[in-house]
Amino acid sequence: MTTSTSITRKGLKVPSYILLLTPAVIFMLLMYAYPFLASIIRSFLDKSGTFSLENYVKTLDLYTKDIAFTFSVTVFNTLCTAILAILLAVYFRIRQNRITRILSALYKLPLFIPFVVVAQMMNSFLAPHGLLNVALAQLGLINLQRPLQLFNFTGLSFGFLWKQVPFAVLIMHGGFQMIDNSYIETARSAGAGMGKVITRVLIPMNKSSILVSLVLVYSQIVGTFTLPYMLIGGKIPTTITVDIAHRVNYFRDFGVANALGVFSYLIVLLTAWYYLKTKLGETK
Amino acid sequence: MKRRWLVLFLALCVALLTFAGGAKESAKTRLIYMTAGDTNMLALGQNVLGPGFQQKYPNVSVATIHTGPGNAGSQRILEKILAEAEAKKEVWDVDVAMVHEIFMKWAMEKDLLLPYAKDLETWKYVTSPFAKVSLGVKIEGYGMPMFHSQTALAYNPDVVKDPPKNFSELKEWVKKNPGKFGYNGIKGGMSGVSFVVGWVYAETGKYKKYAVEGPFDKEEVNTWEKVYNELREFNKYVTITGGNVGTLDALNRGEIWMGPVWVDMFFTFMNEGKMDPKTRLVLPEPGMPGQPMFFVIPKKAGNAEMAKKFVEYVTSPPVQAKEIVQRFNWYPGIDGSFIKDSVPAEVFNKIYRDVTPQDLQKKGLSFPLAQYFDAMLESYEKWIK
Repeated sequence: MTTSTSITRKGLKVPSYILLLTPAVIFMLLMYAYPFLASIIRSFLDKSGTFSLENYVKTLDLYTKDIAFTFSVTVFNTLCTAILAILLAVYFRIRQNRITRILSALYKLPLFIPFVVVAQMMNSFLAPHGLLNVALAQLGLINLQRPLQLFNFTGLSFGFLWKQVPFAVLIMHGGFQMIDNSYIETARSAGAGMGKVITRVLIPMNKSSILVSLVLVYSQIVGTFTLPYMLIGGKIPTTITVDIAHRVNYFRDFGVANALGVFSYLIVLLTAWYYLKTKLGETK
Repeated sequence: MKRRWLVLFLALCVALLTFAGGAKESAKTRLIYMTAGDTNMLALGQNVLGPGFQQKYPNVSVATIHTGPGNAGSQRILEKILAEAEAKKEVWDVDVAMVHEIFMKWAMEKDLLLPYAKDLETWKYVTSPFAKVSLGVKIEGYGMPMFHSQTALAYNPDVVKDPPKNFSELKEWVKKNPGKFGYNGIKGGMSGVSFVVGWVYAETGKYKKYAVEGPFDKEEVNTWEKVYNELREFNKYVTITGGNVGTLDALNRGEIWMGPVWVDMFFTFMNEGKMDPKTRLVLPEPGMPGQPMFFVIPKKAGNAEMAKKFVEYVTSPPVQAKEIVQRFNWYPGIDGSFIKDSVPAEVFNKIYRDVTPQDLQKKGLSFPLAQYFDAMLESYEKWIK
């Protein structure tokens, strides 16, 4: 930043790009940087406004399990999204026929459905006497007296995957489309099987868009409130976002809510760090 | 060229019409009514109270603004009013608001409310103790109850022939019928919270101390470990549902046979055909909490006088009978004896069939004083991990 802002004081000439940048930078500082820093600072203040670790003590005392749960849900779902989305995107890239055309129109649907609707859908779909269990019982696969219990890690993951895989496919598919056919043909003529083409050619060449999509998916899962709230809101453990809402709504306790927020930043920071490291590695 | 002029002319017309419309609008008093609560509260404001009041006062237009369910909805109203107070605005935007009990504590602490209720014609009909003290905070004169919500246990009489009459019978019942009692914990909505509070009252037998007399004593909280250990044991035999509606849905789908619900939501579900009409209610000993929702007028409301007339209108016996009791199945905010004659017997009997007025008087408890309330919720998180 410092090198680019070569403001010549004598002539009072401000380069026009600085002027152009100012509104955006001010907006970013005011609307993103300030609340972000404020929430970190306030997580270290007690109710009287003095520095203390009280909020963290309480957070760790009451919510360690929830933090671990959020982390595991996020990692598990990001990994599953990665596998499923890569498989689908590669399939769409390699096979182009009527089925893939129909599928590629269909898979975009979840993108336009908000989380709150997804949550309500999952609520009636995954319920003990919901659509899924009733269908399975009709097929004689389960006994409706002892249905599958899905309002837990499994159901939550199902909801997340339903919503996030299409999003990841959309980004990855664009990347795969950019890879010229000649690479695939060359690899095949050199004797590579389809598996090798995918793992040695397609995925490495599309690494950056795969990475971007997964970083986005990962941080979205950490921050989602409605789906866990409506599916497993009252259960133990639940996610950090539900706890934050609980602290604010019932106690107006922004201190612990901020401390919980800091833990979610830490969880996201992991990917941000990895992402930046890879990006910097690429530029070198 | 001609076309461009035509477009310009049309645009001018539209602009003129808009301004004319705006001017006409501004001659009317615009009463801003902000309401917390579920979507039914929005429907009530937009379709019932607003139009009804406008008919009586044609010079007023009521704008209903909905902030959302639960304490979070009240919280948003608080934030709006607090922001105006802190910005030192002379006239505040919100004229009248509909809020939960906890809001009264928050707003009284910050001195944000107008003492208005005693000026109302309808104040004389209010006998509820909730209008005097709410969560241990003196609020007399600052809030006018519009309705009273009560929680109770709903059950499926096909499978539950003899519903538990108190909490210890309930404990035995869940052991015999594992998974068939469902509630939504404490983070999934207030019906679950209400059940937990009822549990603490039942196990400690100290309702009077925790909810009426006080004062807050930290030592009390330390004695609750056993109470919550019992609840943790109890939770092993129950299903945790996905929210207030989740409990009703689970009952209706037959996944659970019994669970705590808000009585008004229960009847609304039934009226809309979303709940088996056979389902019954029981209020176990020593009772479960309920709460009113209050009308408040912010201290510097722009149209405070008109707001008072609005509250007066809604708390008048005819409106209470027709809209609050008959249409929305709430218990009235004013004393029930003033409306009995205005409500058809079948409605009165339906609402008071399982939970009688005597039950309500005896077992319709209040939520605890704010500090005990916080402690009860936090103890749940501490001991039931």
